[in-house]
Amino acid sequence: MFQVISGRSIQVARLLAPRSAVLVEAVRGRKSRTDPVAKSKEGRIKVPPPVDPVEMVVLKERYTEYQLMMRALRLEFKEEVLRKKYEEETGSLAEERARQEAEEHRALMAFNNQENLRMLKLRILRIQKEKEEAERKQVEAAIQREQEQQESIKEKERDILKLQEEAKNFITLENLDQRIEEALDNPKNYNFAIDKEGRVVKQTMLQ
Amino acid sequence: MVHLSSLLLKKYHGGYVVIRLALAGHKQANRPFYRIVAAYNKRARDGKYIEQLGSYDPLPNIYNEKLVSFNFDRIKYWIGCGAHPTKPVAKLLGLAGFFPLHPMMITEAERRRALTELTATGAEDGLQEGQNVA
Repeated sequence: MFQVISGRSIQVARLLAPRSAVLVEAVRGRKSRTDPVAKSKEGRIKVPPPVDPVEMVVLKERYTEYQLMMRALRLEFKEEVLRKKYEEETGSLAEERARQEAEEHRALMAFNNQENLRMLKLRILRIQKEKEEAERKQVEAAIQREQEQQESIKEKERDILKLQEEAKNFITLENLDQRIEEALDNPKNYNFAIDKEGRVVKQTMLQ
Repeated sequence: MVHLSSLLLKKYHGGYVVIRLALAGHKQANRPFYRIVAAYNKRARDGKYIEQLGSYDPLPNIYNEKLVSFNFDRIKYWIGCGAHPTKPVAKLLGLAGFFPLHPMMITEAERRRALTELTATGAEDGLQEGQNVA
């Protein structure tokens, strides 16, 4: 019957000065079937509003007429809705529309195929070009590598020849004594003097 | 011929379609504005509807008119599919001429006319009595 409230509405309810200890607020359907009747309504007998028989007869007649008309209208509208649906699906215009749509579809499919063929040709050309480019690059790279190989071989041969040339001046076991005596006989002087202007003086004090 | 309403309405939870007034959500106190709406029976009054079929402004405007609008084509479709109009919607459509006049409207008008006649004759009697006395 009563709802206990809490929160902000407590302040409002307090202002309204409740007599009970618990703060309650009024809710729709306050009284349950076991609550006693209020004092002011003790001897009350609920009476429905008075019905005028003449008016009632007239009203009943009007209602029957109204319901008849409403039923007729409803059936009419139902028939109209059905007819519209039928016309939509199997009417005179439906076939034409279907035919037009089929034609459009065929035209679009043809156009699509044309486009596909065109793109295919372009694609083939492009792929061919790319393949040729790749082959050319490969060939060039091979040539380059060959050239580099040749160059390196030549370098190595030159090095070998230089080494052979220098090998003639090497000191071996047979030359050892001879070269030592030669070195002792000709002392070489590596000292020199240079000044800021770049004049070189090779004559120095011999030891 | 298949019964059209069952074809169209069995999809939902066993309810039926009604054409009724729903308060448009303007959220202004003391200024109502109704939409005439086709909705399922069990939905809230202002909740999700299937289609809006018109509007109704209950307060008269500056030229003393109450404005109502209807989408007759769609109303015909929904009634053909088995929608029930409520009493106020039926009364409005009766006034518009689309439906026959609702019987309760006629009886209420007659009652009001009887009351006004009573008060008019009462005033005349009072005047006559006053003249006689005078």
